[in-house]
Amino acid sequence: MPMFEGAVLDDARRIIGRYPASRERSAIMPLLYLAQSIDGMVTQDALREIGRLLAITTAEVEAVATFYSMYRLRPTGEHVVNVCTNLACKLRGAEAVYEAAHEAAGVAHGDERSDDGMFTVHEEECLGVCDHAPAVQVDFCNHDDVTPERMRGLIASLRGGDVPAPARGPAFASFKAASRALAGLEEVPAS
Amino acid sequence: MSADLVTLTIDGKEVTVPKGTLIIRAAEQVGVEIPRFCDHPYLAPAGACRQCYVQIEGQPKLATSCTVTVAPGMIVSTQNTSDAAREAQVANLEFLLLNHPLDCPICDRGGECPLQDQALAFGPGESRFIEAKRVFPKPVPMSPLIALDRERCVLCARCTRFCDEISGDRFLELYARGAGERVSIAAGEDLRSPFSGNVIQICPVGALTSIPYRFVARPFDLTSADSVCRHCSAGCVVRVDQRRGDVVRVLAREHPEVNDAWICDKGRFAFRHDDLPTRITTPLVRDRGLEPASFGEALLQVADACRQARVGVLTGGRLMDEDAYALAKLARTVLGTNDLDHRRVPQPVEVDRRAALMATDRDRAVTYRDLERAPVIVVVGLDAEQEIPILHLRLRKAAARGARIVVVHPRETRLHDVGEHVLCRPGDETRLLAGGADATMDAALAALSQAEGRGVVIAGERPGAAAAAFGAAEANGARFVLATRRAGDRGTLVAGVHPALGPGGRRLDDSAERAELERVWGPVMSTGPGRASMDILRAAADHELDVLYLIGVDPLRDAPDAALARRALQNVDTVVVQSLELGNLEPYVTVFLPAASGFERPGHLTDWEGRGQRMWPLRPAAGISRPDWEIFAGLAAAAGGDLGFETLDELHEEMGRLLAPREATEEAAQAPEAQPADNGLTLVTYPLLIDDGRMVRDAPDLHEALGEPPVVEVNPRDAEAHGLADGLGVRVRTAAGEAVLPARVTDRIAAGAVFVPFNQPGFAANTVLAGAFTVSVELEAVESPDAPESSVAPAGDAEPATVAGESA
Amino acid sequence: MTFEPRLTRNWSNADAVGLDGYVAAGGYAGLKNAVTMSDADIVDVVKASGLRGRGGAGFPTGMKWGFVPRDTGKPTYVVVNFDESEPGTCNNRELVEREPHRLLEGTAIAARAIGCETAFIYVRGEYLWQSIVLERAIAEAYQGGYLGGDVAGSGTRVDIVLHRGAGAYICGEETALLNSLEGLRGQPRLRPPFPAVEGLYASPTVINNVETLMNVPDIVERGADWFRELGTEKSPGTKMVTISGKVERPGNYEIALGTPFRQVLEELGGGMLGGGTLKAWTPGGSSTPMLTADQVDTGLDYESLSAAGSMLGTAAIMVMDETDCVVDCAQRMVAFYAHESCGKCTPCREGSWWATRVLARIEHGYGREVDIPLMHDVGKNTLFRAFCALADGTASVINSSLQHFSEDYEEHVRLGRCPLKDAHVDVPAEVVAS
Repeated sequence: MPMFEGAVLDDARRIIGRYPASRERSAIMPLLYLAQSIDGMVTQDALREIGRLLAITTAEVEAVATFYSMYRLRPTGEHVVNVCTNLACKLRGAEAVYEAAHEAAGVAHGDERSDDGMFTVHEEECLGVCDHAPAVQVDFCNHDDVTPERMRGLIASLRGGDVPAPARGPAFASFKAASRALAGLEEVPAS
Repeated sequence: MSADLVTLTIDGKEVTVPKGTLIIRAAEQVGVEIPRFCDHPYLAPAGACRQCYVQIEGQPKLATSCTVTVAPGMIVSTQNTSDAAREAQVANLEFLLLNHPLDCPICDRGGECPLQDQALAFGPGESRFIEAKRVFPKPVPMSPLIALDRERCVLCARCTRFCDEISGDRFLELYARGAGERVSIAAGEDLRSPFSGNVIQICPVGALTSIPYRFVARPFDLTSADSVCRHCSAGCVVRVDQRRGDVVRVLAREHPEVNDAWICDKGRFAFRHDDLPTRITTPLVRDRGLEPASFGEALLQVADACRQARVGVLTGGRLMDEDAYALAKLARTVLGTNDLDHRRVPQPVEVDRRAALMATDRDRAVTYRDLERAPVIVVVGLDAEQEIPILHLRLRKAAARGARIVVVHPRETRLHDVGEHVLCRPGDETRLLAGGADATMDAALAALSQAEGRGVVIAGERPGAAAAAFGAAEANGARFVLATRRAGDRGTLVAGVHPALGPGGRRLDDSAERAELERVWGPVMSTGPGRASMDILRAAADHELDVLYLIGVDPLRDAPDAALARRALQNVDTVVVQSLELGNLEPYVTVFLPAASGFERPGHLTDWEGRGQRMWPLRPAAGISRPDWEIFAGLAAAAGGDLGFETLDELHEEMGRLLAPREATEEAAQAPEAQPADNGLTLVTYPLLIDDGRMVRDAPDLHEALGEPPVVEVNPRDAEAHGLADGLGVRVRTAAGEAVLPARVTDRIAAGAVFVPFNQPGFAANTVLAGAFTVSVELEAVESPDAPESSVAPAGDAEPATVAGESA
Repeated sequence: MTFEPRLTRNWSNADAVGLDGYVAAGGYAGLKNAVTMSDADIVDVVKASGLRGRGGAGFPTGMKWGFVPRDTGKPTYVVVNFDESEPGTCNNRELVEREPHRLLEGTAIAARAIGCETAFIYVRGEYLWQSIVLERAIAEAYQGGYLGGDVAGSGTRVDIVLHRGAGAYICGEETALLNSLEGLRGQPRLRPPFPAVEGLYASPTVINNVETLMNVPDIVERGADWFRELGTEKSPGTKMVTISGKVERPGNYEIALGTPFRQVLEELGGGMLGGGTLKAWTPGGSSTPMLTADQVDTGLDYESLSAAGSMLGTAAIMVMDETDCVVDCAQRMVAFYAHESCGKCTPCREGSWWATRVLARIEHGYGREVDIPLMHDVGKNTLFRAFCALADGTASVINSSLQHFSEDYEEHVRLGRCPLKDAHVDVPAEVVAS
């Protein structure tokens, strides 16, 4: 079934409309987020359809999709746990947090996601929260000063169906929801 | 000194080059080769491989010579004079080799690999690293023609830049990043491009290899010879590699005024055409059956048949210039006929004369260079990518340099991303090009008028296009050029294989021009203009000719009326076939004369520009076959005449006298009447690049990569009116016959136009043609949901033509 | 450290995140001023202020604006580089979180200065919340008449389009950012042509960092002399610094340029974490050569750090103490460059990838004596050899760690293990081939 039809096509047109006329190709990144928000990953079909929408080849789309680390082209958990292990976080114990994330989420190193499909754990480069290291993002929502114990707690609450409150900003309930926000389509009420 | 020149010093040698020249190019001028992998003279600078470091005096960092342009007084030291540059190059090579599998002994590129050469020259003997290399699955097919070994790849991006900058077929891309970066295609999306093979040739390592050539030969096993591609009129210069007498590979040679450094995949991968098992290299004469004969016997039989007979002569489009010249003289001075033609699509004589005059005078010619420099180009009736692919690349290059390109054609062409299209119902060209009918067209015409004579109107072979284009060029102060498709078309026209024109475009009905010709040839046939191709066939079918002399042509496949061609062959007394093989003509042939192939004899080919290029034989003639011109000379002698030359040199001398530049007055062509618009549909057909023709036989990978099934293309409006649906069957019915093919409903074809490919496997369009490449057509949906892929049912009592094809 | 804060002066004011609060605190005065000035006057005052780009390179901002040709017949663009990704750096994030309108105001002024009608803010994808903060602010600014068809009553148009990245450090490099914004892979472009001439959509483009633009409203409102009251002659103004790692109070702070690192460490960072001992520190993010405890008195400004053999970079100070293994830290930093290398050029792609593995081998106790000169060579052969500056980050880490801490490397090789780890660590098979 085509992805870009009905409401999704409207969303795609809104995204394309942000950019100057005849610069549709600029919309490729938000369109990839849009596709990711629907399937929980960027599928081959989505790559093809984005290509069709922008009148470029699938290869051109995939070249872009594979360049950036926030697009997932492989099966992905409902929640994506990103643990920064770059220096500022490493100096404050990030490696133990990263190990704890794997263990608590039930994701072996090298696996795409947990057997239950709930979690993907990702080692991240600097997330820009060095002032509250170790930094973690769950579905791109920040959690500050995370210890292994807090990491286990975050995963436990997600497993229980609770979305933990992030350190700043609203919580997105899933990787899909966050991807929709990344496409610039989430109406977040002013606080 | 001109402000556009810059003088600098490279390794102590002063050199003056045009402003904007890259250091790496300037160094070549003084004989200094700076190592490089990503740099390619026809691609934009990338600066990716970092192999070409040089030291520029006054700059603290080394510079990559492939990205920095020259500056006045610059002092450059290359690896030859700078330790820093040399050490940096060696260090970079270490990086490049770190992940290389070093599998030269089993690599197709071994022996002709820049990386291998570099490594031998400068490379460290041993790796200082002990870590495991990155491994990738390999080889991975990028298409049926190209395999990728990612471990050998140095990520120079030549291939992806070629697809981006040159062909525009962006199916090959760099994926991912960092150490994971790799060349790739998308799943289910091959590198489908008629120019794909160029990426193999420009790969500086053995990463992209040719599937047909994989493991076929080693460079030291090959005998290489320079040649000119005979697939179309582009004039590409090529290198033909033979292994033990078999052609195993064709590569592009560089010619900045012709093909830059590119050839199309047809030229690259279809090279067995002269070595097919169906090749016949001995004369045959029909006695009880077809019996081998000596050339002497065969020629005498032809001479006898032609004596006092009405002879019609048809040729294909791949004669060499010398052959065509000898034939023109033979026909008009010995066989006594003006029924002589080579053209697939007849043009008004003024158009042909212009094309011939342009070819004899470089000052009049429109060249590839002229296209590159033109601010506006109007392309009329030509699907350049499919018909003259390298011309298509030049049009793209012109567009990249800012030229406005407007294509007037029934179907959208592959210029769609760089130019505008005026989709044109066949026959509507005259009306559109007269102005006032279409805003895009009018803007293009206005641009031509403002281009101060640098605008070009280039016409192809859609019926009526050239005459309309000729008129529009004259009316708007633009230059006109006719670009016909086949490799020998222009040379054959110039030589005078034409019912109304002698050599050099001389009008035989003009007494002064005729006198010029007779001064060289002696008395020439004086009956009025001869018949054009289709009229020759009609005359033969109507018993008005006794002999049909077919040179490198098969009317059953090539003529736009298969049934007429069959009647013509049946209704003459004698059919003489001079070619590489008999093919479909076997039942009709009286005498077969075996011609030497283009690989087997010297000669010239004249490209669409009118540029004659010399070809050398790369091997002796097969069997007792002979160059066509020698056969013509022999036939003249057998008939008691004398063409006046026994060697090519003598032929050239005489030809040169007639084809020298000369003053000639021209008349404007009469454009065909604009056809009144009606609600009927017009079928248009032309051969696609990879069709069922003889020249592309025995290239299965090429067909797999680029072949297209026969379909009927219709505009959605017409599809709706006729109840047609995309992918379902449609019956195509014309006065000449009917066929059932799948429909392709697309807005990329003009309303009112219906396209079928001329000659795809399983469908010969000439079974539904009535003497021209356009015809009125009716369409009808085929109810049966399981409509056959295609079925052909020609009208009349003739049996269906066998698979159609284009002959040599 | 006593001076009147500038960029952070409203940080204690929670209302400053919204339009009303920002305007109540004096916001948009700079823009209102700017719409009464000519383009050239805006450029001149920014030139006179001596403001230098805060993204790392320190290029004079006014000069950059002055390069933009106005007669090309093409649109001009302002692109805000909010792709803050340099390890250890997060002050742009907090600046935007706390006062997004200051960025919009600076952007609108820059747009006025170069005649741009459409500005883009390129925000790194991971800053999802901050991008939403900006989205809200942009909506408010349109409503308030500070963006849109009649900017601050000037009758001229400035639109701002927000564009999110998707996880690629290289997009902080301005030409890679432009490619990314055009929907291409974020690989850097050849220069020339420079973005000022052919940038976004092949049109004249100014690319500025967030902190740089947030300085602009005050400069336009208060003048160049006011701006120069703080900082040094060549590095006027204040600078946001991020201090992280082994300090008591990691965070983002505003300092006058030239403030010695010791003062920042002690007064702002609260000193070493748990009373530890300073071993090494990066002054400007992981791409700047690391310095030692001996260099603690170096002033944090472009010139002083250059003299010390490093760079101000993004002024992101990561602090290591005596319990941190420099080889381990260097390995992690180089692994970052390997992960973020765009792949385009050889020294960066191969140098970072292989160095990561050799460093891991040394850290895990499999180092050979020849590996130390080998790493020297990799550093040397990577520095200033690549297409863009990313690889110089790789080289900086390798070279500076070897320069200052060679005995740490030698000890790893001698002991066959990391001296700070208890025992020999088994190495994954992919680290060592044989």
